[in-house]
Amino acid sequence: MQAPARDTGWGPMQVHFEAARLAAAAFEAAGIAVQLHEPNLPVFAEEGESKRLAKKAKDGGEREWRGDSFLKLADRGQLLAAMRILRDDLGYEQVIDVTGVDYDAEDANLWGVYCLLSLRHKARLTVKVDVPKDDCWLDSIVSLYSAANWHERESSEFFGIVYRGHPDPRHVLLPDDWVGFPLRKDYEFPDEYHGISCN
Amino acid sequence: MATTSEETSARNADGVREFEIDVRTQDVELNMGPQHPATHGVLRVLLRADGEILTGGQCHLGYLHRCAEKIGESVDYIQYLPYTDRYDYLAAMNNNLGYSLAVEKLLGVEVPVRGQYLRTIIAELNRIASHLVAVGTYGLDVGAFTPFFYALREREMILDLFEKICGARLTYSYIRPGGVMNDAPAGWLEGVDEFCDWMDSKWKEHWNLLIESKIFIERTAKVGVVTAEQAIDWGCTGPMLRGSGVDWDLRRDQPYLVYDRLDYQVIVGVGHRGTVGDCFDRTYVRMFEIVESVKMIRQCLAAIQDGEVCHPDVGLLLRPAPGEAYVGIENPRGELGHYIVSDGSKIAKRVRVRAPSFCNLAVIEDILPGCMLADAAAIIGATDIVIGETDR
Repeated sequence: MQAPARDTGWGPMQVHFEAARLAAAAFEAAGIAVQLHEPNLPVFAEEGESKRLAKKAKDGGEREWRGDSFLKLADRGQLLAAMRILRDDLGYEQVIDVTGVDYDAEDANLWGVYCLLSLRHKARLTVKVDVPKDDCWLDSIVSLYSAANWHERESSEFFGIVYRGHPDPRHVLLPDDWVGFPLRKDYEFPDEYHGISCN
Repeated sequence: MATTSEETSARNADGVREFEIDVRTQDVELNMGPQHPATHGVLRVLLRADGEILTGGQCHLGYLHRCAEKIGESVDYIQYLPYTDRYDYLAAMNNNLGYSLAVEKLLGVEVPVRGQYLRTIIAELNRIASHLVAVGTYGLDVGAFTPFFYALREREMILDLFEKICGARLTYSYIRPGGVMNDAPAGWLEGVDEFCDWMDSKWKEHWNLLIESKIFIERTAKVGVVTAEQAIDWGCTGPMLRGSGVDWDLRRDQPYLVYDRLDYQVIVGVGHRGTVGDCFDRTYVRMFEIVESVKMIRQCLAAIQDGEVCHPDVGLLLRPAPGEAYVGIENPRGELGHYIVSDGSKIAKRVRVRAPSFCNLAVIEDILPGCMLADAAAIIGATDIVIGETDR
């Protein structure tokens, strides 16, 4: 694991560039199309960075960003195969989180996000996959990681992603008869629920 | 209970006629909660029982869902901080910390060293408070009323310390992006030191009163065993994972704050009174983590220096760089993860909260079948769930 040079309160824990690079290489060897995204801003902000970024956002151009690197699967049909490689070959024993992101109401895609943790290698990895909003499904990974069970149910009720092959696709946090997907950016808040006014 | 019986008979190898009577009973469905003291809030568990043996358990959550993640993408970064207090309200400081670390990662700031030490002291104090409530209320669940009062007496002292440093007793918002709200008032660190002495002297009493009591051992040992494989597969973290014998602690294995400079032990369940991974082991881990936390606080108190407590450039309106960050920290209940997606504006695109209780609770659906009905309360209690966190 590559740690930032300076002594920090959070640095060494969460910088997992190396893990993502290794996983990308393994995917390539297995014939799974994947794109490695790595942040291009320095770990620590420089003077006046936010102003510069705001100006740049206005002008357009190459996007500068900070944070975790992640892998993006090109084909969602290969998700199960990719997860199997991560679990069996690369030692990611735990799925820490399965969730979705609706980045913008205008976007055609949601992101399916998988956060994995390897106890053996002390490494973290984020795997993402695009999910078209008009054909919103992913393969369930419950057969590989039981932990995904409730996470997928949650992500499914909040984003409307259908996890194919999920053993128990009920709502987990919302009432069973809830209409709409609350974490979509175009979600409209209901005026009432069973006669209870929401305004 | 409807009963049907079926009679069959056959001769065995010696020619003796044998009768076999198959008594089938209908499973009974039993609602535990949502208003049940042992569910620690408003959790409904639908239990299915065949006689006294459970054949299934299904959790129904959501009674305390407050749309934390939706709020996260509607208000700006600092405004969201008070909402973090409210998911695991027994360890609100740790929630503040997890969220702040994630925002700081996108901001690219480092917290001054004194701020880091203060954060560590506060986080560990809150861990002690949380474990005291966990163990105390677990005593209530299995039938010991007295230890709860003593646990709350100790917790009260921690809350007094928190009140002195930030003015609040339950929802603090003290740890914030950039550092902490303000420096410790005069005499506060000495107060923490006194508390450490007090906790050290009283810990053994808690141990003797509850953990070594025969009734407690019989209610918890060999009950609700979660194997190491199960715990890993179901995404358990924190004392649930360590209680099952897995040596994993984010404070040591992916250190943040000043944990890599401290000397402490990671407590792992060893099957002290029965099987590794039973309810006793989880409580055992929590009890000894209190000792380790006191040890860590002492080391922090010895090492803390004067200085700034908050990064001077981090104000109230934050504009983190575009990007995304996942930060998981070791909360009293396990890994609290914040996954934040920023587009560079003052409001996050997505704030995802990975709550440890939510994942730790999921495993009980797997372990309840086959247990005794009377053990259900003991098993649910040992997961130490906070409903504010499972439902968010």
